[in-house]
Amino acid sequence: MLTGDAVRWGAAVDRAYDCDAYTVDRSAPAAVVLPSTEQEVQAVVRWCVASRVPFTPRGAGTGLSGGAMPALGGVVISTKRLNRILEVDLPNQRLHAEAGVTNSALSKAVAHAGLHFAPDPSSQTVSTLGGNIAENSGGPHTLKYGVTAPHILTVRVVSPNGEMQEFGRRVVGGPGPAWERLVVGSEGLLGVVVSAWVHLTPVPKAVQTVLVALPTIRAASDAVASVIASGIVPAALEMMDRNILMALKVAFGLEFPADTAALLLLECDGEPKQVEEDFARMLAILKGFAPLELRVASDEAERKSLWTARKKGIGAMGRLAPTIVTHDGVIPPSTLPDMLEFVYAVAAREGIGVANLFHAGDGNLHPCFYFDDRDPKQVESVVRAGEEIMRKCLELGGSLTGEHGIGVEKVGLMHAMFGPEDMALQRRVKELFNPDTLCNPCKLIPDQKGCVEHMVRWRGVAT
Amino acid sequence: MSQHSLTDLTSHCIRCGFCLEDCPTFKITGEEHESPRGRIYLVRSAEEGKLDWDEARPHLDRCLGCRACETACPSGVEYGAILELARERLGAKPATKMLLSGLTDSRKARLQFQLGAMMPGKRMPALLSKWVSGETPEANIPRVGTVREWPTVDESALPPIRGEVALLMGCVMQVLYPDVHEATRRLLRRVGYRVHDVLGGCCGALHAHSGMTKEAGDRLTDLKQQLPPGMPLIVNSAGCGSTLKESDLKEQTLDASEFLLANGLVEVIRSGREQRVRLTYHDACHLAHGQGVRSQPRELLRAIPGIEFVELEEADTCCGSAGIYNIQQPLLARRLLERKWEFVQQSGAQIVATGNPGCHAWIAQRAEEAGQQVQVLHTLQAIEMACSGMLA
Ligand code: SF4
Ligand code: SF4
Repeated sequence: MLTGDAVRWGAAVDRAYDCDAYTVDRSAPAAVVLPSTEQEVQAVVRWCVASRVPFTPRGAGTGLSGGAMPALGGVVISTKRLNRILEVDLPNQRLHAEAGVTNSALSKAVAHAGLHFAPDPSSQTVSTLGGNIAENSGGPHTLKYGVTAPHILTVRVVSPNGEMQEFGRRVVGGPGPAWERLVVGSEGLLGVVVSAWVHLTPVPKAVQTVLVALPTIRAASDAVASVIASGIVPAALEMMDRNILMALKVAFGLEFPADTAALLLLECDGEPKQVEEDFARMLAILKGFAPLELRVASDEAERKSLWTARKKGIGAMGRLAPTIVTHDGVIPPSTLPDMLEFVYAVAAREGIGVANLFHAGDGNLHPCFYFDDRDPKQVESVVRAGEEIMRKCLELGGSLTGEHGIGVEKVGLMHAMFGPEDMALQRRVKELFNPDTLCNPCKLIPDQKGCVEHMVRWRGVAT
Repeated sequence: MSQHSLTDLTSHCIRCGFCLEDCPTFKITGEEHESPRGRIYLVRSAEEGKLDWDEARPHLDRCLGCRACETACPSGVEYGAILELARERLGAKPATKMLLSGLTDSRKARLQFQLGAMMPGKRMPALLSKWVSGETPEANIPRVGTVREWPTVDESALPPIRGEVALLMGCVMQVLYPDVHEATRRLLRRVGYRVHDVLGGCCGALHAHSGMTKEAGDRLTDLKQQLPPGMPLIVNSAGCGSTLKESDLKEQTLDASEFLLANGLVEVIRSGREQRVRLTYHDACHLAHGQGVRSQPRELLRAIPGIEFVELEEADTCCGSAGIYNIQQPLLARRLLERKWEFVQQSGAQIVATGNPGCHAWIAQRAEEAGQQVQVLHTLQAIEMACSGMLA
């Protein structure tokens, strides 16, 4: 039923699949299966259920909370060979694609018709539709266009007991709750996504982008607040701190004024006239904050280069130290300066480097620690610092995650965010779909069977 | 080559995965252990003693060494250096040594290819291929090349000589593609340069890419002795150029397209006769990813009067030739070639130009299999043919 090269195992294979982009926790699978059709996915899941073997779905493995890590071993089900676009329906602005198609490939397939798939995680050239659905991925343009959820019409999954199920509907409206939203963001606990109908968005006719260098974090965050308060809805509103600038200089030779403490990247898009008006107003507001520099993109090439700062900022951090871990939390935007001070203080106390990248418009922050994971002490520090920062997010009335998911990384903190009743309800929903917790164990919902040991182990050292 | 240790080099991979879709072997297999991130992790694990080197070997063997991952990596991981050091750790297999000793000695290569042409079938005998790769062969045995009959150039129309440059004859190049050298000489003359042939065969690139670091170094030393000090060294084979640019000859080494563009060849090309033909360009990995030379060949080709230049989809994705990869990994190499060929056909081009002998022979083989509707040329051949009014 499965072709010969669809099942892989051995020391090298197990090693390669023992983590995703969240590197401080690792656990090797017993085998990796790469099905090419949904029937093959179903057959693998059924085999796992019958044999009581845990299984973990995986897309590109770019997740940042360990969602694709096979926490209890077993089988990794890779969706990378489910890579067909099945149907394109341009008049109705939707398309049907398999789970392993990359986010960018969706947009590329309809670019000729002036459409695109709006969610734009930084990993979009490699991360898959299935992974974006599992994590409910966001990106810089989430501020205006929303995260993945509103762009998903239907999701087809192989359920944890091996049945084909389809949630949602291909048109807007219909009876009952939006069931597809239950699957979006469920981090692979409710089944293996095999395909989805997605909604396509017209590519905006006009775009204006500006990069602003400001002398203090306070000024930057006040500028953000003023822009939002003016009623303009920017397509993106990003902030980067001075440590990111250091990496950008090393990596891409991008230079900024010496006293820059924060960079803001703002974008307006839509109908040309509206964009022009909004952008002019926005620039006027920004100029009120005494910027050290204000770079407006004059053409598409320049716009791309301004975006390099943001999209490759985290990747460029790799030049500063051997390893990075990027955290993800949400705070009310107004508390940003306090939060940043806190992040710097924690990092200083632990003696590790930190750089910060924000989706400032919606208060989604990404403190990025850089350190050497060959030193067990530093790994411990990073884990401890991350936890403290998350608790601070909650204290300020925020959330544990904006877009990276809970995974194994933050599963222990779920109790801090949800009360016992809430937690019990979530657990019941999971058990309804996934009664014997074979499907992606140890993620998102705390205190799962057999996971305690695992939790203890991962607080240790990367081996 | 990089001075850093394998542990340092590999630890700069932050596992973001941004390189995955740029890796040809990942694109066709979807397997993590056939991706840059996977390979780096395997090397790091082996170096740290957490994995047997022998377990990592097959996955490193399947790496094309195309370095597309370096272009894609935001974190500046020096994958080329990692691969060379890892292959050195593994040691080259006897079969690889045998292949290279033949290929990189011009006299032996000439003899082998001539013998090959007399054997039944066009490929390496199946038994031999099994020993080298464990698979049946896909690549034809190369044919010893000849120089075409170029029309004589009107000396009076040429600019006065303004200098002399060295031209690397290379090991494989001078046997397979003497015609490319002739085209290069003619073009250099067209912009006022006299050519000093550097015969000392081999720059060691193929050895270095196979982990035979010492042999590579020896060859480089031999080459240096032949080179008049300070004279620009012009290279028309991407693989050699990229190795030389990472050696202590880096200040002197230039790809021919870079040198010719910088020395006013565009004007010369523009003054040629109109050539109505549709042409596309395949980026040799060691030009695009290894040397960052992408725009120069395109600018030259676009300057041909009347040309219809079309971009090739996935132009800078490896065709599978990759040094001696198509001999060592016939099946994967064939899959990559088929993918490349599909895009060539989509482009509707009558001519494919490229800047490396490996890609040239491999894509030309596919063109031949398809019945020769498409002609494969070295970039410089195409340009000189245009200047001589014989491209279309
Ligand atoms: S060199 Fe080429 S084949 Fe090898 S890992 Fe990099 S991109 Fe893949
Ligand atoms: S892009 Fe660079 S840092 Fe990221 S996984 Fe690939 S090699 Fe590693």
